[in-house]
Amino acid sequence: MTDTNENWIYVCEADSIEVEDLKRFDHENDTYCIYRLEDGYYATDGNCTHEEFHLEDGLVMNGEIECPMHQGIFDIKSGKAKSPPACIDLKTYQVKVDDNKLYINL
Amino acid sequence: MSKEIIIIGGGQTAANASKTIKDSDKSYNLSIFSNEDYLPYERPPLSKQLLTSEKKIDDCLFYKEEFYNENNINFLPNTEVEKIDFKEKLIFTGDKNYSYNKLLIASGSKNRILNIEGLNQNEIFYLRNIDECKKIIDKVKKIKNILIVGGGFIGLEIASSMSKLEKNITLVESSAQLMGRIIPEEISRLVYEKHSQSGVKIFLNTSLKSARKKDQQYQINLSNNEKIEVDIIIVGIGALPNTDFLNSSDINIDNGVVTNEYCETSRDNVYAAGDVSNFFHPIYNSYMRLESWKHAQDHGINAGKNIINQKKNYEEIPWMWSDQYDLNLQLTGICNDYDQKVSRGNNLDEGIIFFFIKKNIIMGACGVSKGPKIGKDIRISGIKIKNQEIIDINKIIDKNIKLQKI
Ligand SMILES: Cc1cc2nc3c(=O)[nH]c(=O)nc-3n(C[C@H](O)[C@H](O)[C@H](O)COP(=O)(O)OP(=O)(O)OC[C@H]3O[C@@H](n4cnc5c(N)ncnc54)[C@H](O)[C@@H]3O)c2cc1C
Ligand code: FES
Repeated sequence: MTDTNENWIYVCEADSIEVEDLKRFDHENDTYCIYRLEDGYYATDGNCTHEEFHLEDGLVMNGEIECPMHQGIFDIKSGKAKSPPACIDLKTYQVKVDDNKLYINL
Repeated sequence: MSKEIIIIGGGQTAANASKTIKDSDKSYNLSIFSNEDYLPYERPPLSKQLLTSEKKIDDCLFYKEEFYNENNINFLPNTEVEKIDFKEKLIFTGDKNYSYNKLLIASGSKNRILNIEGLNQNEIFYLRNIDECKKIIDKVKKIKNILIVGGGFIGLEIASSMSKLEKNITLVESSAQLMGRIIPEEISRLVYEKHSQSGVKIFLNTSLKSARKKDQQYQINLSNNEKIEVDIIIVGIGALPNTDFLNSSDINIDNGVVTNEYCETSRDNVYAAGDVSNFFHPIYNSYMRLESWKHAQDHGINAGKNIINQKKNYEEIPWMWSDQYDLNLQLTGICNDYDQKVSRGNNLDEGIIFFFIKKNIIMGACGVSKGPKIGKDIRISGIKIKNQEIIDINKIIDKNIKLQKI
């Protein structure tokens, strides 16, 4: 069964991202963050919802991403804003790994 | 428990305390008395994107009007609290008084005033609130030559914003270094170079001797015997806690309202937080007063919790930032109590951080980079400070080793 809404885009080799780390991914005019946690890979929009700074230099810790600019915190799996000044959630995306190739569903 | 809570001051601390209280229990009666005309707003953009008109006031509000309405928060603008009677639990504004069960003093800080020989105060510009920001914006539209007095964060951010607006800027700083001695000299020098490259003329070790108004301009005599002509003088020489209205009251004041680690003052049921409070920090085992956005947020949240009896001690590690041109500066901990100073990184693209270390424990870290590249390492430093971790200095300075992994 194929879902017509699926649009899997190749990102990178899965093992090029370390556990508890992230990688920035730019595609067309948009930008994303791809995270590797202990239990798998996750993806969110790349820019913080507070003042649109990129999260690529942020800290990944305990399943959360902390913005490098003013330390707003988001839950990586749900995108939920967890700590001010972040109050708008981040959009999340599906990711999958196939033979060490990492894809994002945009 | 009685439920009448009053907050004095409508800034960042008030916004965060009131949200914390109402998120926990909507039934508290909560009033915020503010002597400004605006709902609580972020001050950092005053010297940055508001000054350059890249942002509007509405973009800077912590919460829109609906938040206050939906939560039944009674926000009283343009209402100055003049006096408090702690015995009777009353606050006084004009000819009215209001009673409280719990009181939060969140009156922030005010500009340190500079007296300039030859000028009236109303000819000097300062920057602490929206009204002062609007005045500067109106004035600089029509003029070109700007004098900034004070090379601290706010003075330098004003210089950076004004240079975006293509003004001629002179900045004088009375000490030998920009941003005071809390910033490592090396970073201070990098920032100096950035301003100079952008056309800002900086005089260190220099103060204003006198000024004379001639037509629409000011003729300025500087202590280094330079004479300059400018159209506006903007002063940013620091801030003082807003405690004047407490002068006749019996409450412990020493460089701000003195509080313990629970935001409690020397009076029962009276709390203080944010810029106005000189609070006890259990990790540093000393009192400190901070003028920082993150502190106002976290201290406000902590005060909110303690007011509604969710007793919680405050032990956040100080953190602040400044934006100047494309540079982002961040500072965590304290940088004046150390036996070793080491650095990590050697260029602005990747970031340069100085660590202040005492007995192999990081006490403070200060960094600068293009954009917030240093953000992660500064944050990790803050965690290491909080945990009082013994660190391996050789690893800290090695940019090839991730700080998180140490
Ligand atoms: C121009 C500028 C730029 C800044 N940039 C940065 C930055 O880049 N990074 C950073 O970390 N920090 C920055 N700060 C500092 C940060 O904004 C403050 O630390 C923070 O606003 C403190 O919040 P507060 O609520 O304690 O006090 P405030 O925000 O000062 O609010 C206190 C409020 O109480 C009101 N008030 C005082 N007395 C009374 C009274 N008697 N009755 C009623 N109301 C009263 C005041 O008018 C004010 O509205 C900046 C500050 C300024 C002014
Ligand atoms: S830009 Fe992310 S917290 Fe401000």
